[in-house]
Amino acid sequence: MSVQAISLEQLPAGQIWRGARFAAPPAAGRPSGFAALDAVLPGGGWPRGALIELLGEEPGIGELSLLLPQMRQVCAPHWLVWVAPPWTPYAPALAQAGVPLDRLLWIAPERPQEVRWATRQALLSGSCSLVLAWQSELDMAALRRLQLAAEQGGTPLFLFRRRRAALQPSPATLRLQLEVGDDGELSVRVLKRRGPLLAAPLRLALPDRGRPASTRFEAAAAATPRRHRTRARFRPGLSAEALAALQHAVVGPDPARTRPAGEAARIDG
Amino acid sequence: MALILPEPALQAKLRGSTDDAPLALVDRHPRTVVVAANRSALAAGVFPGQPLAGALAMTPALRLADHDPAQGVALLDEVACWAGRFTPSVSVDPPDCVLLEVAASLRLFGGLTALMDRIRRGLDELGVEHLCGSAPTPLAARWLTRADKAPPVAESRQFGAALDALPVAALADGSGVDDGVLALLHAIGCRNLAEVAALPRDALARRQGTRVGDALDRAFGRRPDPRPMHVSPSRYHARLPLPTPSDRRDTLLFLLRRLLAGLGGWLAARHAGVDRLQIVLEHEGRRPETALEVLAGAPCRDEQRLLLLIREHLERLPIAAEVDALRLEAAAPVPLPALPGDFFDDRQAVRENAELLLARLRSRLGPAAVRRLRVRPDHRPEHAGGPDEPGPQVESTVGARPLWLLPRPEPIDPTRLTLLDGPERIESGWWDEREVCRDYYLARGRGGSLLWVYRELRPPRGWYLHGYFG
Repeated sequence: MSVQAISLEQLPAGQIWRGARFAAPPAAGRPSGFAALDAVLPGGGWPRGALIELLGEEPGIGELSLLLPQMRQVCAPHWLVWVAPPWTPYAPALAQAGVPLDRLLWIAPERPQEVRWATRQALLSGSCSLVLAWQSELDMAALRRLQLAAEQGGTPLFLFRRRRAALQPSPATLRLQLEVGDDGELSVRVLKRRGPLLAAPLRLALPDRGRPASTRFEAAAAATPRRHRTRARFRPGLSAEALAALQHAVVGPDPARTRPAGEAARIDG
Repeated sequence: MALILPEPALQAKLRGSTDDAPLALVDRHPRTVVVAANRSALAAGVFPGQPLAGALAMTPALRLADHDPAQGVALLDEVACWAGRFTPSVSVDPPDCVLLEVAASLRLFGGLTALMDRIRRGLDELGVEHLCGSAPTPLAARWLTRADKAPPVAESRQFGAALDALPVAALADGSGVDDGVLALLHAIGCRNLAEVAALPRDALARRQGTRVGDALDRAFGRRPDPRPMHVSPSRYHARLPLPTPSDRRDTLLFLLRRLLAGLGGWLAARHAGVDRLQIVLEHEGRRPETALEVLAGAPCRDEQRLLLLIREHLERLPIAAEVDALRLEAAAPVPLPALPGDFFDDRQAVRENAELLLARLRSRLGPAAVRRLRVRPDHRPEHAGGPDEPGPQVESTVGARPLWLLPRPEPIDPTRLTLLDGPERIESGWWDEREVCRDYYLARGRGGSLLWVYRELRPPRGWYLHGYFG
């Protein structure tokens, strides 16, 4: 008898499972808008009805920009629900980013249990495209309930928590740790997914954030404003021309605040 | 189609129970005998017609309740109301049967099999034990269902053969044939209906058996058998006694679901919805009842939705004492147009859910906690956005704005920042005492986050953090 060497590919399909593959093809997810992220997410995107934890310490690293492609897709009659955001979601910036403001519900409950209640209601209602919630202190049972509600309602829940929550086990389908690299790019570390472990963090170049790092701050340099200045005095009910004329007549050109040549007084808005 | 609810008076008592403790209904006049018993009591040897002492000797743990035929009638009425969602021709056939004329509804519900499955599921939801069968005539449907010999749906046109094979005793059911005539038929050796039908009709009639021929004619469809239609009441009223008093909210909710299922049928039959209903918790003894008024906001007949609202109300209601019975009352149904089934998607359902979510969040958290956003035409960042009812959208042509705005700017140490872009000068608001004169910069903080900071143009020219580019 001769022993024949056969490569793994020659074996019948379905009899061999390799550690680097997903055990079963997961349900197709919603494309995240970032090809690099879709490539590592099971299902090629955000899972559809699941709890997704986003862990991070610093605000302002692009944690919301990561979800902007999802938020833009919300359309009537679906809601986009933010439960207990830590600061004011800023309407002009959201409008600039293309988020439909009339579908956004900002829920500001007073007590932690109300945060959980409101989140579950939003998930179970089936009328929300996605739910964002900010709550760090959650025990296993509460997380479990949220995960079940997300599955039942078929609505993804993006739960923002502090980084130390990574130490706590969680039933979340997906856990991502968000950090910022030296170059200012968002780095996403996949802590948990339904599939093999992913060791290396992922670098994501978010649009509008790839600004060149300029020189360190110097107090003297900042005293003279650089590129553009907006000098706006807004008065409702007057046309821009009328306003400019009025401004010139009443206030007059201010010698202390000189404008660069060629830039007329601009009325924004 | 016949729906038979065995022992309706017993079921009315048992509907609320989740356990299977032996229970017997007892009639105290003229002598105390067991009238009906539930399954576990029957298994223990209790039988209807048994003197009470004998039953208690067999099963000391037997719980007793008074036999109240009115409760059985009420249950039949409730089921008849509920059945109105399947057909307008419903009739109650005492003591334990509800008849539906479903020929006209078959197409709508996708055939007899599908309709019967639906009815069975619905009766399970109501918490009613049932037998269910169909035949072309009401009497035949009733007899065959009771004998559990209703022919399979596909062969229901050949019901004659099944009817022929029924024992003589089936004749007595709902046809007015009395025991004396049955005994006579037994005595002359008839065993099944075929043999009875073969008897000479006028000879039988002379022996006081006119009703036999009449019943057979009606059953076989040789004579019309009109039935009085059930008229559903203009006010809905259903009562559900609890077998054991309880103050647990989940038990109450479970039972309320059964009451709501009946209400749903009543509303569907009237093509209506209710915008308010009342739930009354009856307590033991002479304690006053607790009434709960539930407002739905908009007319609604979705049981799930009503149950959700009731749960909200029930959770906030202090229940002072154990509840003995539940009552559901609804008046003034509002016509609700039948929803056109959407061919492609469920937008209508989503729209309703979206409104319901908003209503629930506002009712529980207070209107101030549920906010909407709107852009306002103002250059001052703190006035350009914030919680507001949605209104006309304003085109904004301003520079880069952060997704997070701090409600109150925080002082920040400028040596910890790397300025990336700016300044953008904002001087505005001289008309309302809250003028701002600031230079805004895009900056990177120590941790790598992008910040929106500004420097006051007025002394002491401090630096402040006003937002994060999330």
